[in-house]
Amino acid sequence: MLLLWVVNMADQNKTDTEGKLFSEILSPSELFAARSRSHKIPVRGQKDFFPNDSDEQRQRLEQSLNEHWSLISEERVERLGNLVKAIWIPSDQIVELQSPAGKFWQTMGFSENGKQYLLPEEALYLMECGNVQVFYRDLPLSIQDGYERFLSSATVSLQQYQVFGHLKRLGYVVHRFDPSSEPSSYARQLNLPQSRDRAGRQLKRKRSPSPTATCSYTEAPVEPTVEKMEEDKCSLEGDHVKKLAASPDIQTATTSGSDEGRSWWTTDDLGASDKELHHSPTSRSSRWDFSSIPFPDVGSSERHPSCLAPPEPSLLPGDLTVGVCDIASWRRKINLRMVKMSSKEQKREEDKRRRRWDVNKDREVRRCRNWAEYHELLARRQRKRKGRPAHLWNREVTPLHDPRQPIPTGELLDKISVIKSTHLLEGASRLKGSEEWRICFNVYQPDTVADFKKSNPGKPYSRMCVCSFDGPVPDLRVIKLLAFQSGDIPVVFAVVDHGDISFYTFKDFQLPTDVFP
Amino acid sequence: MEESPSMDDHQDSSLVVGVGLCDSAPLLWRLQDLKTVRSLGLVGALLGSLPRTPRQNQRLGRPLLLLPEEEKLLRDEEAAGDVGGVELQRRFEEDQQRSFEEQSVLALEDRKSALLRAMTSSHTDEALRRRLEALDHSFTFPQSAMAVQLSTARAGLSYCPEARAHLQANWPIREQNSPRSDARCQVFRDLRGRGFFLTSAGKFGGDFLVYPGDPLRFHAHFIAVCLMLDESVCLLDVLAVARLGSNVKKTVLLSNQRLSDSAAANALSWSLCPTSLRLEGHEVKQTHQSLVFSVIID
Repeated sequence: MLLLWVVNMADQNKTDTEGKLFSEILSPSELFAARSRSHKIPVRGQKDFFPNDSDEQRQRLEQSLNEHWSLISEERVERLGNLVKAIWIPSDQIVELQSPAGKFWQTMGFSENGKQYLLPEEALYLMECGNVQVFYRDLPLSIQDGYERFLSSATVSLQQYQVFGHLKRLGYVVHRFDPSSEPSSYARQLNLPQSRDRAGRQLKRKRSPSPTATCSYTEAPVEPTVEKMEEDKCSLEGDHVKKLAASPDIQTATTSGSDEGRSWWTTDDLGASDKELHHSPTSRSSRWDFSSIPFPDVGSSERHPSCLAPPEPSLLPGDLTVGVCDIASWRRKINLRMVKMSSKEQKREEDKRRRRWDVNKDREVRRCRNWAEYHELLARRQRKRKGRPAHLWNREVTPLHDPRQPIPTGELLDKISVIKSTHLLEGASRLKGSEEWRICFNVYQPDTVADFKKSNPGKPYSRMCVCSFDGPVPDLRVIKLLAFQSGDIPVVFAVVDHGDISFYTFKDFQLPTDVFP
Repeated sequence: MEESPSMDDHQDSSLVVGVGLCDSAPLLWRLQDLKTVRSLGLVGALLGSLPRTPRQNQRLGRPLLLLPEEEKLLRDEEAAGDVGGVELQRRFEEDQQRSFEEQSVLALEDRKSALLRAMTSSHTDEALRRRLEALDHSFTFPQSAMAVQLSTARAGLSYCPEARAHLQANWPIREQNSPRSDARCQVFRDLRGRGFFLTSAGKFGGDFLVYPGDPLRFHAHFIAVCLMLDESVCLLDVLAVARLGSNVKKTVLLSNQRLSDSAAANALSWSLCPTSLRLEGHEVKQTHQSLVFSVIID
């Protein structure tokens, strides 16, 4: 037998023989007086950072707390004529309306067998708004009863209801998601042509920027918004124009380098190695003493020994010895002038050359032991001339692309790419559904409420998947699965954390390539 | 039954708070329970619409959701009782009828006083009396005009201190104890014991937001991240959470447990004292290359 303890006395407490009841019931006079209640909520003041033991802080805390309690303690009081009467049917987990529905009927509830019904979460939300009074066994249910009876794993969980309520209070229209009523991908294909244009796809995703709405201390937004934090690699809106700056930079470097390089030997008057060379000092200090390093000008027309002296043995690696270099043959090949011949002369030269040419003089031909090898040699030379040398094309590893074939840059880059780009829905149709991750709600924009039709709601703004920070982060498999189920509507993850809700969504797009089609 | 030092010496400390389970989440519905719990330094989170202005998210109303650590603390101090399943048969119809009658009377009086205010002194008393009489005859107060209450909390029984032990035994077992939840609990108790107020900090990448005083009046100082006894932390994670902390102007508190045998306090049991490693977020920003750790050891 429990002894009861009186905690709160209200006018209407009944005294049983055994003890006192606890209730927060208002008296008729209180109910009557509630008509003239204010409908404004006081603005929160600035918060302090450090607690000191000042009276001022204590006073302000007390004031804040009192304000807090007075707001929290207020009970919902409504005019009976404004309330819609309904009853809770536990066997069907549904709420049946007993009086005609109000304005909310445009976006909530459904009809069946001539009766109007509300889903449990819709009924609970309307109870909290003070629009509907739900009865069970002829007694009105309190909000607590509603929470405890209507929310369960069979209907809608508490976390899902938190998200539902949050979005409804912002003005969105929220319906349960039914995967079977979504058109299949084939049906979608028939009705909605997929755009292949990459730029087009980027433009389609443009949405107005949305300010935050989940922080509890921000100002009340004028139009309802949803906070999205996007986890993607890098964002790209519109086209970038990137200059291929690599090659021009290199070119300028070499030219500047060679300019500087040319300076040190053009100023020399070069001659024999034993000549003392003097030159103007270079702008850049270097460790080389160029005055003592001979750089013979092989191309000069001056009289010049036809042999180059061997380099100093100390400069050579190991015990490499280099003899004198005979440059006579090379000198004959430079400083040549193009001879302009008449056509008759040209023909004569060609005949002479042809008569002189003997295939047998070719060393490689001599190495061929039979006709087959000779043909092979000819074919090899042919290929080399035509740009397909054997050492590249006749082995196990061949070049990625034949340079003789024309190819657009984009395709060439695709050939080179080591990582093939993919899109989110690739392979998604093969994935089996999972129990723990599923889309809960369709969310429709609030400005469509005026002409919203329950029978034909149109495309949702987004779809919600409710999870919590305690649970696992959705992996790629889950994201693919949900994106596939959702079709072309983005899936938003509503992460519930003890009263705070954060919204996250993943964007699928292609990384840019330096190609201009 | 000894009271733990964290409880205020308050008249409320003898009360038991009624916790309703909704979808296995601990919710508080009664105003007095919310006040009691606040006086113990537990903040919780409000989930419901505010009755005065239901269509906004800035200020929410009852119920109050408790953190698992808060619920455990209440249960350990035997200050929580399960209110589930208690239904009272009120004489609803009669109550409604009585309320209607009283409200009609009040409405008539209200109308009369409004009439009196509107009448000027030029009218004679006779005219006034006639008007009031007419009002008496013609006045109707329709049923639909009656004000009706939609109760937030369910009317029920309240519990006395002697019933505590009985309630404790009947508490439904829901959670499984994991090392992680134990670590969180220990850190919660320790910080609460030092007088801090704690709320959930999932949005900030941590376990708790630590306030030096009541969250209604003060900004949070710390983000507490709970580490388990033998857990090794990757330096990159430490850096990431420190950077996050500096962005939101809060200090990150890496807290873990250290078993200590404090024979003086309690001869028969182990007590767990967390060791907190404080990482100054803004110091990370200033000294780009080196991390400065300031360690608090107790």
